[in-house]
Formats: sequence, C-alpha cells, structure tokens
Amino acid sequence: MSDLQTVVTFLFFPSGLFVMLYGMAYEWADRKVVARLQNRIGPRWFQPLADMVKLLSKEEIEPAGVNRLLFVGLPLVGLAGAMTASLYVPLAGLKPPASFTGDLIVVLYLLSLLTICIGLAGTITPNRFSMIGSTRVLTQVFSYEAPFLLALIGPAMAAGSWTIGNINFYASSHWLLLTQPLGFVVALIGLMGKLELPPFDAPEAETEIVAGSLTEYSGRGLALFKLGKAVELIVGLTLVAAFFLGGINNPLEFLLKTLGLLFVMAGISALMTRFRIDQVVRWWRYGALLVLGQMLVIIAWQIWKGL
Amino acid sequence: MSTESLLKTAQQLLTAWTLETRAPEWNRIDIVLRPDDLPGAAAALAGARWGYLAAITGLDNGPESGVIEALYHFCSGAAIVTLRISLPRQQPRLPSVCQSIPSATLYERELMEMFGVDIVDTPNRQRLFLPDDWQEGVYPLRKDYRPQPLPVEERRVIRPIPENSQPDRFTVPIGPQHPALKEPGHFDFSVDGEVITGASVRLGYVHRGIEKACEERSWVQCQYLIERICGICSHSHAYAYCLGVERLAGVEAPPRAQAIRELVAGLERIHSHLLWVGVSAHEAGFDTLFMYSWRDRETVMDLLETFTGNRVNYSVNVLGGVKYDVTLDIADKIRRGINFLEERTHHYLDVVTKDAAFLQRTRGIGVITPAEVERLGLIGPTARASGVVRDIRVEAPYGSYRSFPVSSVRESAGDLEAKFIVRINELFVTYKAIQTIMDNLPEGELTARFPRKIPAGETISRVEAPRGELFYFIKSNGSDKPERVRVRTPSINNFTSVVSLVVGHQLADVPLILAGIDPCFSCNDR
Repeated sequence: MSDLQTVVTFLFFPSGLFVMLYGMAYEWADRKVVARLQNRIGPRWFQPLADMVKLLSKEEIEPAGVNRLLFVGLPLVGLAGAMTASLYVPLAGLKPPASFTGDLIVVLYLLSLLTICIGLAGTITPNRFSMIGSTRVLTQVFSYEAPFLLALIGPAMAAGSWTIGNINFYASSHWLLLTQPLGFVVALIGLMGKLELPPFDAPEAETEIVAGSLTEYSGRGLALFKLGKAVELIVGLTLVAAFFLGGINNPLEFLLKTLGLLFVMAGISALMTRFRIDQVVRWWRYGALLVLGQMLVIIAWQIWKGL
Repeated sequence: MSTESLLKTAQQLLTAWTLETRAPEWNRIDIVLRPDDLPGAAAALAGARWGYLAAITGLDNGPESGVIEALYHFCSGAAIVTLRISLPRQQPRLPSVCQSIPSATLYERELMEMFGVDIVDTPNRQRLFLPDDWQEGVYPLRKDYRPQPLPVEERRVIRPIPENSQPDRFTVPIGPQHPALKEPGHFDFSVDGEVITGASVRLGYVHRGIEKACEERSWVQCQYLIERICGICSHSHAYAYCLGVERLAGVEAPPRAQAIRELVAGLERIHSHLLWVGVSAHEAGFDTLFMYSWRDRETVMDLLETFTGNRVNYSVNVLGGVKYDVTLDIADKIRRGINFLEERTHHYLDVVTKDAAFLQRTRGIGVITPAEVERLGLIGPTARASGVVRDIRVEAPYGSYRSFPVSSVRESAGDLEAKFIVRINELFVTYKAIQTIMDNLPEGELTARFPRKIPAGETISRVEAPRGELFYFIKSNGSDKPERVRVRTPSINNFTSVVSLVVGHQLADVPLILAGIDPCFSCNDR
C-alpha cells in the first residue's frame, strides 16, 4: 500500500469519513423505520448529520469535580477504538484495509472499548444517574460480551481461521445462517445489546436515569460518543452479515445485507418493551448456553469430519 | 350496609368522645371532639374499618372568632363522618392520627403549613406544598393573610434542608425535573444497587394557591378558576364544584344538563385513560404502544373539541346546568368516534394482557393487597385493581349516574397488569354508558335559574374523576363569594401507596409503579 493510499483509507474511504457518514445514514434509517412502525413520520434524511454538526458546534459543559483528562479523553478513545475496528472488516464489500491472524478477537475488543469508555464516562462524574447508568452499562457488557464472542467464534471455527477476511471468504460459499442459526440469533441480539438499542436500552433508560452514563455529556463529547456508536453499528452489522449471511464481496451485497439486518433490528426494537437489567442478565445466561451448545455441536462435527 | 346504618355505626363507635353531633345533610354527620380525643376517635374508626380518611380540611373562622377548625372527613360509601375540632387561633395544637392512619401524614403536613396548626407528634414536619423560601409563621390559608409579593431580600431566607441522617445512603432524585415525570414533583429514592430502600415525596412545584384565590372571587368566577386546576380532568373539577354549589343553593340542574355532564365526564375519562395507557407504556420503555394509544386518543380529543370548542378546558358547566347542547350532528360524530375507539381498545387489552415482554414488566410488580388499600385509604382505579370497589359513581351516585348507572370494574391481582386491565375495561364501560346516554338523552332545558348569592352552609361534593374520588368541601357564608373551597384530589390519597410500596422494588420499576396510580401533580398542587 502506498502512503497516499493509506492516508485515503484511514481518513476517507472505506474507513474514516465514509464509515462515519455511512453510520449516520444507518442511524437515520433505523430511526425512520422505527418511527414508521410507531405511526410517526420520523426524521428527515440529514437529521443525524445535523445533530452532529450542532453538537460539535455547541459549548461543552464540564461538570464540577470531574477529571478533565478523562472527561475529554474517553470519547476520543472510544471513537478511536471503533474507527480502528472498522479497518479490519470488509466495509463497502471491499477487502479489509488491514488484516492479520486473529484480528477477529482484536475487533471485538476494540468494539468493547467504546462501551467501556461510555461506562467509565459515567463513573467520573458525581451525577447519580450517570453512576447507575455506568453500573448498568458494565453489567450489560459482562452479560452479552461472552455470548456475542462465542456466537462469532462459531463461523471462525467452521472456517478454520481467526482472520475476518478468511472467514468472510469461507462464508461466501456457505450460508452459516442455515448451519448455525442459534449463533446468528445470539449474534444479532448481542449486537443490539452492544448498541444499547431497545429493548436492551436499560443503561440509558430515560424514564429512570435520564441519559444514563452520558447524562453529564454535552457538545463535543456527546457528539463523539454518538459518532462512535454509529461506527460501531456499521462494524457490527458488517461482521454479522459477513459471517452469517453468505459473506460480503461487493458493495451491493454490503448494502443489501447490512440494511436487511438493520431493518430486522429496528423491527425488534419497535416491538419490545425495555428489559430490566436483571432480566437482561437472565436472558443472556440462556443466550450463552445456547451458543455453547452449538459450539459443542460444531466441534463434534469437525472431529467427526476429521476422522 | 345502607348509608343510615353506616352513620349509626360510626356514631356508636365515637360515642365515648362525642361532644356534639350534627347532621348537616342526609348522608353526613359532624361530630365535635376535643383535640386530645382525636387520635382515639380516629383509631376507633380505623380499627373498625369504617371507611377511610378522605381529607383533612382546615377552616379559619377569622380573627374575630379566634377559632381555627380542623375537619377530618371519613368516607364509607355515601356516608361521610366529619370529626370537627375547634382550636384556639393563637396556639392551635393537635395530636397526630398517623399512628392509626399512616396516610394522614400528607394532610397533616398541609394543615401545618397552610394554617399553622402544630401537629405535635406527626412523623414528618417538612413542608409539602409551600416553597422553601416561604417565610416562617406566615400561613396562607388563614383569613388574615393577604397574598402579596414579598421583596426579594426577604424571600432569600431559605429554610435549611435537614441534613441527611444517613450520609452513606445513595439517593436517586426523581424530579422536580425528570423525564419520567410529565409534571413537576419530587421523589427521593434511596437505593442499594438497583433495589429501593426508602422513598419520600415533596410536592408544590406548581402550587397556584387556587383554594385561597377562590375566597376572593364570586361563585361564577370560581368555576372558571377551578376548571383550570387540572388539564386532564378539568371537567371533573367543575362538575364537583357545580354539584356542591347547586346543593348549597338548593337548585338542581335539568335532567338534560345532568346527562350532558355525565357524557362529557365519560369522554374525559376516555381521554384520560388512553393518555395513561400511553404514558405508562412509555415509562416501561414500550414506545410503540405509547404512540398508537395517543394516536387513537386524538379521536376523543377531536370529539371534545367539536363539542365544546376546546381540547383541554372544555368549560361545559355553568352553575345550574351546561352551556352546550348535543346536536344531531355532534351525536352522530360521538357515536362514530366511540365505535372506532371500542374496536381499538380491544386491541390494547390484547396487548397488555398477552405481550410477553410487556407482561415481564407489569405482572406481579407493585402489588397492592386489599388490606393495604384499606390501610392507606387508596381510591379510584388504584383501589379497584386490588379488588376494592372505591367508585363514587357506584357507591354514592350523583347527578345523572342515578338514571344512567355505570358498573364498576374490578380486578383482584393488585399488580400493574391489573391496573392496565381495570382502566382498559373501564373504557368499555364508559363507551357503553355514553352510547346509552346518546340513545336516551332527556329533552328539556339546559340551565336552571341560579342565584348570585348562596345561602350560608357547608357541603361536601364528591365526584369520581378518572383517577378516583375528587373531594370538594365548600362553605358559603351567605355572600356572593365562597368562604372556603377545599379541593382534595385523588392523586394525593394514592401517593402514600407509592412511597410505601416501592421499597424492595427495582429502580427500573419505579417509573411504572409511580405511573400506576396515574399521578396528577397539578391537581395536587392546586
């Protein structure tokens, strides 16, 4: 890769600016679909972008008694984590710009980095809603992280590789949705949990704890966290679509498969009542058991095939 | 039991302390007591499970007489027993009744701050309605208090907020501004992790002093003021006020007017209950149900607007009748609207009883037992969801509810699901009642002649608002202005249930439990 190409990849396409804008477009699609399902009109197409511009241009109010370094740094680290993760996935149906053996695990941890930053962001302020929000964010991380990871390891085991590009290549000829349906369901719902979409939005349940751990954030910090979430949405959708829905090898596949998944998630969001945090944890216990069972089946299958 | 025998039982229970018995109206007795006998008398009524404490009214008889009266109203069915205690205006002191009636604490706090009655051993002496920078020793509902703006410097005297007795407690403030509350109120919940360990309530953020303002307006002006107490049950307030004043004046509204009042009360109940379904679904994080129920609620809002010209303060009542007539065109629109809503309501009943995710948040949560309903004096749909019929329309029918009766809906579970089912089933009852009224609307005048001055006297007017019993105590001194209008809204009775029952629940359930009683803060604050 030439230097110019690297710069373009990092800053503009397919990572960088592209993934941010694309994330906002998907955020709009999600909001619009949920709104239509709820008999509302929903936002105009540029609303998430307008929100972002407005937030970025607004004053950032720093609450008394916070550690300034953490308060300013956490949104940056979170966004950087999500952006870095986007380098390893087949964005826009292209070959991942960067790749090494085991990048799947790194991507998953980079995605969790954002969530953990959001959790920490709540604990550095003395706000009580933030505190409770953080506890919930971290509780939820611990409950869905393992099943989500296990669900994505299923395709990796089937492909016999820990590299996202290779798994994607393998999945292009095998619709793993059919052979690993449980893994798909758990991965999809895990993604919803990661993104804190309803019904897993207990960490930011507005009728209980206002905005959860981000209650004290305004202006730039809030904008960066929201941007991070938008990028995480794209990376997550790409991963799940590439692994379970027959791979992503061209822009059209990318668009159709990720958008399809997004619509399914929007539908689930609109249909469900928010789970209490204890109910979330209970749900994930079953989720983890399901994927574990499925993993055992895959292992048994591979041993049998190897014999 | 009939009203007469209920009153007789109460009289017998209280003989030991009675100084004097009066029977101002057929369903009421007033029993005069000495201040020190009050806890014993209250305990006797509570111990015999004779009704519930509906309200405590303070009555200042003016500096000339030097007497403040405290009126403890107990209600059972249509029967009302009032314990009257006269206190010296200089140093009014009363013992608390909270020992036997825990829910009295809110009324006692109000009596203390509004009239300066010192309730010696009451558990909570904090202000309930008055602002923290209100001057000490100024009691707004006393007759010699004239509302006047205080200079800013004087208002700076802020009462110290008592120090937290347990500094290691982690409290979550809900309100005065919080997304769970659509109106300002303040709840402090102390939590251990996600579990609630204690709760307290503070009201008065939208206190407008309407009770005091009524004393300076004519009977007619008061009606317009009272309609503005609440945006949701505006008609119920005017209804209760008009019924009470009409009774004092000895005037009865014509049958057609009575029926139209019930009709509007029905439409108001529909709009209030649909609103509640939406708000509660939103509190539980089920925004889709919220959006749909509010969309359908527009139907009834449009009907009210077509009929009265207003979506909120309908102002249908006048003293002695109603303003608007149901024309053929409007009758047709109402019928069609009600038919549409009935069909939709079946759908909502399905959702709240069958949606598994929603039931996870409502079934078995916030259970109120019938015994607790009795102990805390809960009313309205909150009580009916626990299997206790507290419904003035049925227990003490007023106005046209005698000719167009409604049946009372009851559920036994007492949890949040039951509260949904009760309110939704009440919608069906209301649809039916409205249809019956539309089919049998009596012919005749809309108003009766009404005097400008009302003969001296006292009356109690009770109306079933969408949230429960609305209690008005009205006293006339024979002039063109009321001497005292006491408004006790249903939410204040039910608040005690929230404060005592959330303990042990998850923080996530609090918004829904709070919404379960359908609190109306503007009503409370008046």
